[in-house]
Amino acid sequence: MTATDIPHTRKRGVWDRIGYEERSALVFLAPVMAVLMAVAVFPILYSFYISLFRIKLTRPNRQPFIWFENYTDLLGDHEFWMSVGRTVTFTVTSVAAIAVISLLIALLLNEQFRGRRFLSTILLIPWAIPYVANALMWKWIYDSGYGALNGVLYQLDFIDKYMVWLGDQDKTLMLIANAFVWKEVPLATILLLVTLKSIPDDLYAAARVDGATVWQRFVHVTLPAMRPGFMLVMIYETMMAIRHFDLFFVLTEGGPGSASHVLSWHIYVETFRNLSFGSGAAMSYVLALATFGLSYFFIRTLGRRM
Amino acid sequence: MSRFAKTHLGRRDFLRTSAAAGALTLATPGLLRAQSADIHMQTWSAAVDTVQSHLAAFTAKTGLTVDYGNSPYAQYRDAMVTKFVGGAPLDMMWVSDAWLPEWAEAGWIAPIDENETLMAYNAEADDFCTNSMTYGGRQYGLTYYSDYMAFFYDAEKVAAAGFDGPPTTWAEVVEQSLAMKEKGISEHPMMLAMAQESWLIEFISALVFSHGGRFTDEAGASVMTSSPGVQEALQWVVDAVNTHKIISPACVETGELNGLKAFSSGNHAFAMIAKYRLRTLNDPAQSSIAGNVKQAMMPMGPNGSHATVGWMRFHGMSAAAAADATRAANTAKLIEWFGGKADGAYTFQKLLFLDIGAGFGTKPLFQDPDIRAAYDSYGDVDMIQAQQALAQKKDVVTPWFGEWNETNGSAWQSAIIGNTDAAAAVKASSDLWTELKDAY
Amino acid sequence: MDTAIQVSEQSRRDAEGYRRARLRALWVRRMVIFVSAVVLSIYVLAPVVWLVSSSVQTEAEITSVPPHWIPEEPTLQNYRAIFSATEEEEITYENRSGVDPVSGGFIPSTAKSLLPAMGNSFIVACAVVVLNLLVGVPAAYAIAKIRFMARNASVYFILTTRVIPDIALVVPFFLMIKNLGLLDTLSSLIITYLAVTVPFTVFILVQYFEGLPDELDKAARVDGCSRFQALIHVYLPLSLPSLVAVVLFTFLTSWNEFLLALMFTQTEASQTLPILLAAFTSDFTISFSFINAAGVLAIVPPVIVAIVFERYIVSGLTAGAVKG
Repeated sequence: MTATDIPHTRKRGVWDRIGYEERSALVFLAPVMAVLMAVAVFPILYSFYISLFRIKLTRPNRQPFIWFENYTDLLGDHEFWMSVGRTVTFTVTSVAAIAVISLLIALLLNEQFRGRRFLSTILLIPWAIPYVANALMWKWIYDSGYGALNGVLYQLDFIDKYMVWLGDQDKTLMLIANAFVWKEVPLATILLLVTLKSIPDDLYAAARVDGATVWQRFVHVTLPAMRPGFMLVMIYETMMAIRHFDLFFVLTEGGPGSASHVLSWHIYVETFRNLSFGSGAAMSYVLALATFGLSYFFIRTLGRRM
Repeated sequence: MSRFAKTHLGRRDFLRTSAAAGALTLATPGLLRAQSADIHMQTWSAAVDTVQSHLAAFTAKTGLTVDYGNSPYAQYRDAMVTKFVGGAPLDMMWVSDAWLPEWAEAGWIAPIDENETLMAYNAEADDFCTNSMTYGGRQYGLTYYSDYMAFFYDAEKVAAAGFDGPPTTWAEVVEQSLAMKEKGISEHPMMLAMAQESWLIEFISALVFSHGGRFTDEAGASVMTSSPGVQEALQWVVDAVNTHKIISPACVETGELNGLKAFSSGNHAFAMIAKYRLRTLNDPAQSSIAGNVKQAMMPMGPNGSHATVGWMRFHGMSAAAAADATRAANTAKLIEWFGGKADGAYTFQKLLFLDIGAGFGTKPLFQDPDIRAAYDSYGDVDMIQAQQALAQKKDVVTPWFGEWNETNGSAWQSAIIGNTDAAAAVKASSDLWTELKDAY
Repeated sequence: MDTAIQVSEQSRRDAEGYRRARLRALWVRRMVIFVSAVVLSIYVLAPVVWLVSSSVQTEAEITSVPPHWIPEEPTLQNYRAIFSATEEEEITYENRSGVDPVSGGFIPSTAKSLLPAMGNSFIVACAVVVLNLLVGVPAAYAIAKIRFMARNASVYFILTTRVIPDIALVVPFFLMIKNLGLLDTLSSLIITYLAVTVPFTVFILVQYFEGLPDELDKAARVDGCSRFQALIHVYLPLSLPSLVAVVLFTFLTSWNEFLLALMFTQTEASQTLPILLAAFTSDFTISFSFINAAGVLAIVPPVIVAIVFERYIVSGLTAGAVKG
């Protein structure tokens, strides 16, 4: 910061006093701040304001201010808590499956062999496919009349007649999770692979000198060293799973019964089918706060470990 | 100094570029929004070809262009609600009787009773239809079609199972179905479509009415828990799926269309479907059991009757169209063209009946020789009329219907798949009704 | 002498045993890798191949039980319906089919909207990319290279906005867009997509800029460049890989977005590809193979982009995700 940076011909106002670095940073950051204020900060505050009203678009002329009633109503809303439970089930299952599958794939791709590049390229396909197209694809695979899943199982003699898949409440959530996992695994694999490659070879050499078997090396060297990568995958995929909506919309619309009626679907129904914008905003606020809380917790844990 | 100028020049350049980009972004809709049609019409995807041919004739006659869109009936209300709230361009649309109070109260559709040309058609219309289009003393449209829920059976399968005639009670449906299962005629002899969609309320109402139940009393208060027919009807479905296994457990993901396809391809012996589908079911080009499908009176429950549910759908006008004199006049012309006479004749009603069998609400057409001949060719006119006489209007048509319907459908599904028992499901539905009614 | 021979014999045998064990281990390793690679390929490719195969089958073939994995009489009728939908003749009383769509194999009138919807997706995605670069590049540069007071606060602020779930923004967005009169416009999508893309863009770029030496900045300043010029003339040319990553990532995110588009679009004027696809899947009258063809069409552009720019995507994703 040199004195020549400050134009001496002008009167020195607040603007000049904060220094050239601060000023240019301000200018460079202004657009991004303006955009984020408009599309993130303001909407979130506005959402809170809306959640204090009983807004029903089917009754446009009656929208009383009701303080926190939308929130207190949620406490006793059985359906809401059931949907929270389903979201937790979906998230835990998906994230666990993603962690295991992507670890296996990352270990494979960490080896040197012919065709490795081909594999890592096709692995990007699920990641690139739009979620709606992914949903469309799995809906057709799971189709109980003509789907591929029934076809394969039938031809391999695992089943002797076609089964109901998405329509079976005991299977629905897991089948949707499977479609989610298939699409999310590539990203998780990439993240884990980067961590794997960053493990110094000396660690393995040292373990080998100590006479450790392959399995012992994996458990005592590889796994601990991959902790940061795992934490990252957990955070990212948890966030993705909690808010996920597209697959539920296309595959089941929350059904059958309410077997796949997860929180994000509940918010959608409350807001855009029942047109209760007030309580819909309250629910999404709860979801946003929960997500914030979770990420804070994760980041704290991650920060300590790394 | 020069450095200072440069900084500012750069920054200005930058700001200018950003501003230009921003302006461009905001300008795109203007460039892309080329809506030239005079009238925007939205329907569900039924008789699409018939509608298009009648629209072509409308444009040829009046010179008015119509932008025609259609979406599946199964999710039609949800799609329309989003369109109304989002202010999508809409002038004329099909409306189900069930949604009238909700849409009228929300100010989305407008009455047409100040248009004398349109009102003149009431003289020749079915009273059931006119009443069903009336809310708060105002009439909201002209009839698109009117029909009721029918019970169909595949005569060949019933005979093969060794029965002389179709079942007359729900208990007999079980009895005959079990015999068919035994003989391997059909794995799930009864077809019931219980997916969460627009049709569900019609199926549920028919089941309830034939079990002698009512959802509400004269004052609109819930009688679901005190009227035994509601729980009996649900219990019958629960047992049919879980105990007797005569209805597929997949019924909760089977919509009306897929149910119809399954029945017409010969998978089932009995089906509860709208009466007008008889036309499709007995058409060899569209059905592999054509000729065998017969209508029977709706089976009755232990405390019930052969009652069923009747409904009507109408051509309505959006409030946005009604607010603009030109648009309102054009839309009224289109409503007349479809729901009244086109060029002096009830052309659309007749085409619709001949093409897909949908019932009209205009009395003079019953005398039409083509229509009589068509009816005789695939149906039993006496049976059709006998059942028609027992069709009852839905008793849940209120401004809070949409919200209640969503929960009621889930409650029935939950009971069918065994998550709750029938009594708890009915109680949950009834409690929500009372809550919504009180809140209103 | 004898013992010496014995010793060398012994060591020879040991070496032989070791060599065999090693060969066996190598063989096991190769088999494990081969089998896993095959399993992985099937896991990734089978669903997609089945989708493509279904899209070129006739309605009669696609409803056969068990399915035909390889179409016996492949047809391009669905693709033809999509690409030549505009040329259809007018329907009159005389040529109407006279049947309800329910009779199956129905190709919806919205088939002709597929290409315009792709166009909408494309315009939206491009605009979002441009705006992202405009606001993201200077911000990332400032965070990475300028020492200012509120630097950490800015990072945390941007990081926090990334955590907000999109579904939590739907209600306020809808009312804002409605009040601005922007419902059913592409602008509504472009504006709101900034919320889900900008934070990520900034992270990718900050990560990359931080890796570039500070000395470049100082040298440029000594030469009389302003901060802005230093960014444009010195750093931007060097950060091409990360810019490509940003472009690709933002493009794909916008191309694939569904929830917000579902709320804000009503007509062909603004509907994007995912919206049309979702509408097809909920319509049981539509031909199964047609739906699959539409799905293939939606998959092809992003998959090509992903495969061609694989290198950039991996580095971008890694940088952005590690930071975020």
